[in-house]
Amino acid sequence: MLSRVADNLYWFGRYLQRAENTARIVNVHGHLIFDLPRQVEFGWLPLVQILGQEEAFRERYEGASSEAQIMRFLLLDEQNPASIICSLQNAREILRTIRECAPREVWERLNDLHYLLQEKGDKALTRSKRQDFLQQIIDGALLIYGMIGANMSTDVGYHFLRIGASIEQADMTTRIIDVRSSSLIKPKTAEDLAPFQNIQWMGVLRSLMAYQMFRRHVRGRVNGPNVLRFLLQNREFPRSVTYCLNSISQTLPRLPPDRPLQRTLDRCRALVMDADVDRLMLGGISEVMDEIQVGLANVHDGVSKAWFQAA
Amino acid sequence: MGTGIDWRQYRCEKFYDELFEAPGQPRPAARHLAEYLDDLSETELGERRLAAELAIRVMGITFTVYTEGKNVDRAWPFDIIPRTIPRTEWQRTEAGLKQRVQALNHFIQDIYGSQKIVKDKIFPANLLEESVNFRPQCVGMRPKNGIWAHICGSDLVRDGDGTLYVLEDNLRVPSGVSYMVENRLVTKRVFPEIFENMNILPVDDYPAQLYDTLAAMSPRPGEVPNIVLLTPGIYNSAYFEHCWLAQQMGIELVEGQDLSVGDDDCVYMRTIYGPQRVDVIYRRIDDLFLDPEAFNPDSMLGVRGVMRAWLKGKVALVNAPGAGVADDKVVYSFVPAMIRYYLGEDAILPNVPSYLCMDPKQRDYVLANLDKLVVKPANESGGYGMLIGPNSTKAQREQFRDLILANPRNYMAQPTLSLSTAPTLTEGGIEPRHLDLRPFILSRGDSTYVTTGGLTRVAMVKGSLVVNSSQGGGAKDTWIVDMEGTEASQAQSQSQSQSIGAEAA
Repeated sequence: MLSRVADNLYWFGRYLQRAENTARIVNVHGHLIFDLPRQVEFGWLPLVQILGQEEAFRERYEGASSEAQIMRFLLLDEQNPASIICSLQNAREILRTIRECAPREVWERLNDLHYLLQEKGDKALTRSKRQDFLQQIIDGALLIYGMIGANMSTDVGYHFLRIGASIEQADMTTRIIDVRSSSLIKPKTAEDLAPFQNIQWMGVLRSLMAYQMFRRHVRGRVNGPNVLRFLLQNREFPRSVTYCLNSISQTLPRLPPDRPLQRTLDRCRALVMDADVDRLMLGGISEVMDEIQVGLANVHDGVSKAWFQAA
Repeated sequence: MGTGIDWRQYRCEKFYDELFEAPGQPRPAARHLAEYLDDLSETELGERRLAAELAIRVMGITFTVYTEGKNVDRAWPFDIIPRTIPRTEWQRTEAGLKQRVQALNHFIQDIYGSQKIVKDKIFPANLLEESVNFRPQCVGMRPKNGIWAHICGSDLVRDGDGTLYVLEDNLRVPSGVSYMVENRLVTKRVFPEIFENMNILPVDDYPAQLYDTLAAMSPRPGEVPNIVLLTPGIYNSAYFEHCWLAQQMGIELVEGQDLSVGDDDCVYMRTIYGPQRVDVIYRRIDDLFLDPEAFNPDSMLGVRGVMRAWLKGKVALVNAPGAGVADDKVVYSFVPAMIRYYLGEDAILPNVPSYLCMDPKQRDYVLANLDKLVVKPANESGGYGMLIGPNSTKAQREQFRDLILANPRNYMAQPTLSLSTAPTLTEGGIEPRHLDLRPFILSRGDSTYVTTGGLTRVAMVKGSLVVNSSQGGGAKDTWIVDMEGTEASQAQSQSQSQSIGAEAA
């Protein structure tokens, strides 16, 4: 496997995962709107914050933050590197250079998604069309994963793709926890908050398609510590941070060995497993999520140094 | 008579038509096709065309046009009505192509070797001295099995009287073969029914044949060779094809930056396991960009030192550098002589009659008939830099007169052929359009393979003779039709057996 191609497959995995997660986050946020009462201060800006693009958004839209503008920014703005259209375009440009590595129908389905955004994107910004549209993107991405899983040999190229997807998912999960748990609902008073706490944490789970699995795994009620524990430390749910890191760890023995990377990854796993969830509820979620994100960035650097930048 | 196309209205009398002898009268190989189309209503035909467009889009069959700093993928322009060729005619054509490429490979080896053909005064020495595709770096080299042009794409055209001529041989980096295979896949999606009733020979064997050819060139026989396809990258107009071929053959698609030449003169690619030796490079980069050490020092696309590795026999380059010396349009006119000289045979496929401007008598003829001839520079491809006499202005003819007189070696002229046509679905219904055919020939020394048919390119613009996709050309699926066992051939074999029977009696 060429280093350049491995690098590209890794990023293909990341971009596809990013597009899918972004579509989910927007969709679930839309659902939440219906559930929350008017007096609860409810903004769309947290979505921009989740993707770490607040500054870019303010610059481009000069302080505006209407639903329509944020939708355009998140879905269709080619200047926003985290937008769905950009993620898919990047994935497509990459796949174009490594088309021979992935099954042919992956290219065909990715083209479908590309044309869907190009042609139907503008009409999909309204509330009534949005859900279907986002669901089509999510389904399209899942179809591509399915094809990769069913039809692509699990050779080293496949593993690089999976590593990229796992890092991206772990990163997305921490971002969602971060923004959702701290700033999604800004209660005017503590009494305002109480009735909706449940809904808020259910929204976090739903953003990650985790509600049903949470119910199966966790006997307790939906509350902060339980949800945090599930999304950070559960070993069986595919979008939990620990699951993603474990899956990278299990893949490493199938790739040319690299000790520094193994150590970086172990440190990151320990950080996640050691997080004291009950104490975090009293404050400091944001800081710990930041720490995990730095740990993931280190894993990314380790992957890149081990295989992509090799002479 | 069906409800659909009325072939009696198909005006094909002016040129040789590939499918019809006369309006309403299909040639034997096209009879089933004509009847089948006959049963399709106009609406159905329109639907099939849309289905083809959709298939092309979904399958992502594109070619790349680079404009305004952006590379744009254009959908492959495709006409759904196939072009048919009877198998018996194709067998003869195939033999002619094999013969031709065999002689061309002998010629290239001779030119970089002892130059017997020059010493024997068959081929003029000054032609060689002035050839821009002659590479002095290759003198004295003998690639494995003496093969230089492993892959050749020859352009065939049919004139008004039905004669199939070779128009040119592309020996450097001929492209188009991926579209040949993809065209068939599209046709199968669009007209699935007809493949049951007609015996159309398959075309999808090419990638396997190419892989075998490449593998046979490995300098380390006995081991599984490491084969790569070297592409200039995504901005190249044939990038789609580079990806496609690499994918079909299961070989690495590499760019110059992925390869390097070690102190041991072997070529290595950068992989996640560290450097890995490369045995065969199918290069889709022109000679001059191949190696900044040997050729253009500014090339960012090539691999420093790869010529050194090749000359030492550490890696195979396909096609070999310098093979282009034989696809010069002036050298072309010597191919029939080469076939006689090296093989002791007469050419099976004729050349288009050519006038070489370096010869004073022929030059005078060309200059006196500029308005009737097509004048071509020796080394341009893609239809650039040509004068098409009958369509030219006086100023253009004067310009070419000066060009020819300034550099006679660089020009040759041919009579304007009345290129054959085939029915093509246009905005205004079905009309004849001009076309050519590019088969691909693979040579490995011990055997030669010719594609089943080739890529039919069609000039979509009415009256146009330019078939290049960069200039508004499209393509058709090409069917080699086996009529053995059909009524036409049954009648023939019956009369044969009767006469045999009569003799026996």
